[in-house]
Amino acid sequence: MFKPLAALTALVAALTLTGCASAEQEANPLPTESVEQKDSLVLYSGRSEDLIQPLIDMFTAETGIKVEVRYAGSAELAAQILEEGENSPADVFLSQDAGALGAVAKATLFEFVPTETLAKVDRIYSDLEGYWVGVSGRARILTYDPAKVTELPTSVFDLAEPKWKGRIAIAPTNASFQAFVTAMRVLEGNEVTSLWLSAMKENAVIFEKNGAILDAVDAGQVDAGLINHYYWHAKAKEVGAENMKAQLSAFAPGDLGNLVNVAGAGIVNDNSASRAFMDFLLSTSAQTYFAEQTAEYPLIPGISIIPGLTPLSEVKSPDIDLSNLDTLGETLELIRAAGLL
Amino acid sequence: MLLEIRNLSLSYGSQAVLTELNLEAEQGQLTAVLGASGAGKSTLLRLIAGFEAPTSGEIYIDSKLVSSATEVLAPEKRGVGIVPQDSALFSHLTVSQNIGFGLPKGSDARVNELLELVGLAGFANRKPASLSGGQTQRVALARALAPRPKLILLDEPFSALDAELRGRLREDVKAVLKAENASAILVTHDQEEALSLADKVAVMREGQVIQAGSPTEIYNEPVDLGIATFLGDSILVDGKVENGKVSTDLGKLSALNSVAEGQVGVVAIRSENFYLQPNPSGDSEVIGRVFFGHDAVVEVQTPKVKIRARSNGPFAPEVGMRVTVWVRGAVNFYPN
Amino acid sequence: MRKPPALIALLGVFASLAALVPLGYLLFRLGAGADAALTELLRPRTLELLLNTTLLVVSVTATALVIGFLQAWLTTRTNLGFGAVFAVLSTLPLAIPSYVLAFSFTASFPWFSGFWASWLVMSLATSPYVFLAVSAALVRTDSSSEEVARTLGLSKWQVLVRVTWPQVRPAAAAASLLVALYTLSEFGAVAILRFDTFTRAIYNAYRLSFDRTAAAALAVVLVLLTLLVIWFERRYRGDYQVTRPASQKRVRILLGKTKPLAALGLLLVAFAGVGVPLYSLANWSIIGSSTADVSEIFEALVGSVTLAAVAGVVITVFAVAIALWVVRYPTGLGRMVDYSVWANHALPAIVVALALVFLGANLTPWLYQTTALLVLAYLILFLPNALGTMATPIAQVPKSLEDVANSLGVKGNRSIFKVVLPIAAPGILAGAALVSLTVLKELPATLLLRPTGTETLALRLWMATEELAFSQAAPYALLLVILGGLPALALNTQARKALSEVGN
Repeated sequence: MFKPLAALTALVAALTLTGCASAEQEANPLPTESVEQKDSLVLYSGRSEDLIQPLIDMFTAETGIKVEVRYAGSAELAAQILEEGENSPADVFLSQDAGALGAVAKATLFEFVPTETLAKVDRIYSDLEGYWVGVSGRARILTYDPAKVTELPTSVFDLAEPKWKGRIAIAPTNASFQAFVTAMRVLEGNEVTSLWLSAMKENAVIFEKNGAILDAVDAGQVDAGLINHYYWHAKAKEVGAENMKAQLSAFAPGDLGNLVNVAGAGIVNDNSASRAFMDFLLSTSAQTYFAEQTAEYPLIPGISIIPGLTPLSEVKSPDIDLSNLDTLGETLELIRAAGLL
Repeated sequence: MLLEIRNLSLSYGSQAVLTELNLEAEQGQLTAVLGASGAGKSTLLRLIAGFEAPTSGEIYIDSKLVSSATEVLAPEKRGVGIVPQDSALFSHLTVSQNIGFGLPKGSDARVNELLELVGLAGFANRKPASLSGGQTQRVALARALAPRPKLILLDEPFSALDAELRGRLREDVKAVLKAENASAILVTHDQEEALSLADKVAVMREGQVIQAGSPTEIYNEPVDLGIATFLGDSILVDGKVENGKVSTDLGKLSALNSVAEGQVGVVAIRSENFYLQPNPSGDSEVIGRVFFGHDAVVEVQTPKVKIRARSNGPFAPEVGMRVTVWVRGAVNFYPN
Repeated sequence: MRKPPALIALLGVFASLAALVPLGYLLFRLGAGADAALTELLRPRTLELLLNTTLLVVSVTATALVIGFLQAWLTTRTNLGFGAVFAVLSTLPLAIPSYVLAFSFTASFPWFSGFWASWLVMSLATSPYVFLAVSAALVRTDSSSEEVARTLGLSKWQVLVRVTWPQVRPAAAAASLLVALYTLSEFGAVAILRFDTFTRAIYNAYRLSFDRTAAAALAVVLVLLTLLVIWFERRYRGDYQVTRPASQKRVRILLGKTKPLAALGLLLVAFAGVGVPLYSLANWSIIGSSTADVSEIFEALVGSVTLAAVAGVVITVFAVAIALWVVRYPTGLGRMVDYSVWANHALPAIVVALALVFLGANLTPWLYQTTALLVLAYLILFLPNALGTMATPIAQVPKSLEDVANSLGVKGNRSIFKVVLPIAAPGILAGAALVSLTVLKELPATLLLRPTGTETLALRLWMATEELAFSQAAPYALLLVILGGLPALALNTQARKALSEVGN
């Protein structure tokens, strides 16, 4: 993995020194003082209201900036921003996964993230070119019912076998699943991915949300499912880990099923409120919130994770550059072609 | 005897509709059941057809018990046809399909025969909605006759039609029934209809058959005052039986029915039984006159009593003329 | 020929354009992306959707027809007894919006999903339409012809098939059309029950493809299916008139041994269509009552009521204007306006909403995501129904009254305000209330077009159900039934008439 951070800093420094800004496309973020002042924010959030609303309330309490939120799926919001184009009323787009962010970035509908904000996070968790920044991390994982699953799959490709028919749950409309499929495309190619998706069409029980999958496994309605790690921990916190029937199992080291992905945010309309919100997302209070409330991985240094959680550095994620997950559009095509959508 | 009804009663709760009704009808006859509205005529038909069960009593068709308080033979098994008041044609079927409804497939010949019979030869493919009132009744009749039922029931079939149509249709219906040698029971409140069409008339009142007989019998010898006043236009005069005749304010009259010496009662005289003899020194004076064209009703003041007499239209006495009033024919006396 | 006042003409023409433009834009958009559209249409997935949708529509229509007919026949024509009670039970599912019905089943039986679930829920939700139409027809026809049929040798059951059914066939056919169109355009219920029909696929394509041409392509197929259904019904309906009998005698058929079976059947349907939902909603509301966020519920309530009220007023104004135009100033243009408004009435809400999203985002960004655009969607969707309800009271005001008013010095068109509207007011108000309640319960258009920050009861229910937060969703479901469903049922004149006649 080469060092994008160093290259970017050099570029920004060079451009700032030359003080040039092209007429068609901004080469670097404007200095804070010259940006439009706004005391309200329109947020498109691909993350659920339950999760985000308390955070927003914290933000408004801290800054006095009122926030209007539009909640929907990450891909749907990305589609909406693409449809709206330059006319989009959104100020910030908070996405559950990198794929949707990548799609918006590709359509050049994001403004640059201010350098100071971008610098808070390890560069591997953000966009290569600085259009979006990672806010919290999550690992894909298998949840299963120990009573029903005696032989754990070592690879996510095992799930394509006929013996898994009707026993594995997935949520094709969920952003994290889509990002995972994108990763499969990037690392294994479209053909392999199509085959796996077709096998899923045969084998899988379809759910709308990860939470629903976990509940189903826990209730014994389905044998196993692919979810994000933090769902299990959040539920365990609520009902007690000893009362959880569903258990977690990682795949073999480096397997696609262990994909570590990030939730992130980007600026659609650059103004003081957008920047303030982006900063807030990477502040100690917000990052602690993610760590404690949602059991996700914080991305700024110095925040402790909940006990019982495998530290991020020990998760055997496949070797992939997150900014390559931007081709969400093609992923959706494949998923739809397989008949899962 | 085709139809025998014995002591038939029907009550809805405490409300009695038919009370111990008795009636007989013979094969090939048209029997009219005559009564005012609410007398229970339609209910009687429904019981004969098998749509309701009697509270007590029996109905026999062809000497077979079809209705009793405990057992009612289903309508479809009785061979009794019905022509309802509103003809009730099947609006989704053509005229010939209506007529052939109760027939097995391939009975076109019979259907056409009936079409001819009721005078609707070209109407085979018409829909009921395009027919006039009289035409729908003809189709209803043909439909009921098609399967050659043992008995056919007609429920006030002409009441919905206007007077002129009624007259013509009556005659046609009678002809059709005779041609088919059908046995029919016709229910009506119209005396003219009953008297002119039927072979036998049964007068119904308050759920019972009061009198049954030929039209002449019913008309000339009504068995009680109620029937007497129900049929025709009657004048009532008090009378007392003396020496075999009834003394009234109109003179001594001969009674048609048997009387006992000394009886006191009422005499019913039909308005057409009066003869008004023009007589300048007569004791009665014409005080009113209503002219109907073919006849007239003349109001006459006799010394003791005011009467209404029916008279020949153009020759009816004028108001103010003096006449002598004669009573023709026998009259009926009803003791109190 | 009097010409309509300028205001009326303006409103009418606007409504006409509003009705035609979205569909036009959809086709235009499709034309621009014709290749992508064709690829979409030729997928095996599209065939799967076609089969699913057709299967659902056909099975639900057939089932609703059978259930509705039997309910009507048993309550109006036989000696089953408790006619009024069964009539109410058979009509009551109308008080429950179909997606709430689906929700109530899913909440209590999470495994309940897919085709059979959708078939059951949609049949329960739509059979009241058939019940109402058929019982009205049965009440109007008298039993004379059925009795005559029996004297001609037919048994009770043969009479049912050969005489009773043909007499109610026109009414039943009209109701079946309603059921078929309703099922075809149903979105909320099939989405909650996770059965893939065109509406659900359109929604997913809208959410999850970036150029959304796929959504437009599927929408056009759905529109074609709708037209096909309408054409089919026209042919099947039959062209005979049911003659109105002189007497209104109604006699009950004796059921005999089948009576308990019949009663059991009716009770079973009532249990499924009314009992299960009510129990489920009550149960989950109780569970959720402790954790209910009252301020959130209140906010959604206010949102729903406000939208419903605003839309109700707007739609009423247009409906009254066009009704006046058609009834009082019959001109060719007026007739055209009338037809064009009706062009959309069979269109599924999601198709209309999709067209408006495209329109808003691309052509009129100042309208986009505003309440105004949402109200416009409601106008397009519900103006035909409002027009139908309000044309009658307006038409019933005798023309002679206006002439009298004119002769007494009230100038020309002012007589509309002084005579026609006041007299027609009760009917118009009832129609306005009904339209508002329909808006209150609306889901798919609201889902696609809502302004950021707007919340309604339906939206909250939808989002909570997606999260499987049943106890959170239940209060919204309950409110929708109590505030929207029940009042709408009470205002439904067809229902009231049927219930009063059947009860006798």
